Amino acid sequence: MPVQAIRTTSTARNGVGAFILQCKRLDFHYCDHWGSSKGMNTFLRSPLIARFAAAHPQIQIHISPRPNTHPIIRGLYINGREKVICVRNLEKEQILQKAELLRDANGEKVRRMKGGRLVGSLNESVRGVWDPFHGGNKEIIGDRIVSS
Amino acid sequence: MKALRLLRRSGSVLSPRTRPCCFIHQTQYRNPLPLNIFRLQSTAPAQYQSAIEREDDLEPGETEPTEDFFHNAPTQEERESILSQLPSPHPQHAHKSARLSALHARLMLPPRLPLETLARCLVDPSADIDPHFNNSSLSILGYDLLGLYTSEAVLCRHPRLPTEVMFAAMWAYCGPKTLAAITREWGVEVAAAPGGEVDPGYLQCKHIEAGNASVEGTGVQVKDLPILATDPKGKPMLGEPGWRRGVSSRTVKSDHFGDEIKRTVLDYAERPELRQEDLQRKLEKGVTLETASTNFVRALMGAVYLHAGKKAAYNFFKAHILSRHLDFSKLFEFRQPTRDLSRLCAREGFESPVARILSETGRKSRSPVFVVGVFAGKDKLGEGSGSSLDEARIRAAVGALKGWYLYSPLEVNVPSQAERGGNWEPVMVDGGEVVV
Repeated sequence: MPVQAIRTTSTARNGVGAFILQCKRLDFHYCDHWGSSKGMNTFLRSPLIARFAAAHPQIQIHISPRPNTHPIIRGLYINGREKVICVRNLEKEQILQKAELLRDANGEKVRRMKGGRLVGSLNESVRGVWDPFHGGNKEIIGDRIVSS
Repeated sequence: MKALRLLRRSGSVLSPRTRPCCFIHQTQYRNPLPLNIFRLQSTAPAQYQSAIEREDDLEPGETEPTEDFFHNAPTQEERESILSQLPSPHPQHAHKSARLSALHARLMLPPRLPLETLARCLVDPSADIDPHFNNSSLSILGYDLLGLYTSEAVLCRHPRLPTEVMFAAMWAYCGPKTLAAITREWGVEVAAAPGGEVDPGYLQCKHIEAGNASVEGTGVQVKDLPILATDPKGKPMLGEPGWRRGVSSRTVKSDHFGDEIKRTVLDYAERPELRQEDLQRKLEKGVTLETASTNFVRALMGAVYLHAGKKAAYNFFKAHILSRHLDFSKLFEFRQPTRDLSRLCAREGFESPVARILSETGRKSRSPVFVVGVFAGKDKLGEGSGSSLDEARIRAAVGALKGWYLYSPLEVNVPSQAERGGNWEPVMVDGGEVVV
């Protein structure tokens, strides 16, 4: 048999070609009566929300009442997860910050990055994996390592 | 190279369409705006679809009884029932869907691609059988474009790739599984069932019944039904459908991925009724999500090409398909690499390859390591390490073969760049794999 091939799929690298914003939808919920919604109600009437929506045409923006509860912002993401932030008693500028936080998130669970490997790569290292059989061989003399 | 006149060829796709049910629509779903009267599938933006265009048989002198519109205005329920008669959403609704325009913006589609066409790309033939309203024609065009761009990108970057590996690379870049993944990564949602009342931003297809769903009234699963059970006939004989031909004939007679084409153009030319039968079967049985997503991505590629031109289509391809990561060296599977290497050396006129130990450690221990190099005369072709001499030798041969097959020129020119206004330069394509 001559050379055969293995079928695999290519993997996406978001941002290498096109960048797909991971936030699909933002829901803004407010209440007409509760005082904790005061900031949210001013935010929804201010030009801030319109400017935010115009700057991000790739995000669907839903605004709906949620009576007798605190106001929230809910972000829905491409990976199917959602993130909710309660914005009770916040000013409109603070609410905008929270909306931006949800916009920038990718929907993954917040996890601690362990092991110091904060940057990963799909490509092989240019220098290759170190192996003991190549390059200058070393000798250990006493407590010193000397190239032989 | 002379550029093709796109608009002249794409006229049939870009013109407004109607169908009998649109007339039902016209009579029942009266609306003061003439635009809402008939169903436009079209690809030119709505405001250019002239408001003068009329679907009815009224003489130009006659006037429509406009006051009736307001008296007979349909209620919300009536509208919904009329809409639900349509197999796929009305093109007019494309501009009302936030989901659709968000998708348009998310993919950074060229502004010349209207929302109506994006909505049409999302309608699978299994949802709407009418070829004027589903994405079948666009997806045929997109399939060919994807095949062209991917094959030239792969072949010009790796001119010595074996044919089988070339097929696998094509499959990895634009095969159905990858396109289905792309659809998911774009955030396209799928409608539970197609229909006229559905938001046009959803991918619409009729879902095929799951194989492990139980058939009503019986305890049998769908996949175990006698009509679906696999034929115990055994391997197909020479000339029968399903018979695997050699690699070189597959480059001519198969699809882009080296798979057999079930229905060729010739089949359809001989028996034109086959096309309708196939469509009917699809409509009754439904399709898998993978098929529907594949058709969607292909159709979108075709639509970008028709509306925005070659440059935009190539940029779209580069941004979404070519930018994906694929390690070519992991696509190879050698059965007898040492034999392949000696045949390759004979073909290329090198001296026959010899394996020599470069270094070793722990020969008598339980974990020895040997480093073996494959040499043709004085040139080292490859090197490999393993815990036995044979393993190291085979790895060295594989390394040497991959080094040959994965050669990539420094400057890559693809033939289609001439079509987009660049200079045409001939590309080097090598002989491919050795025949053993």
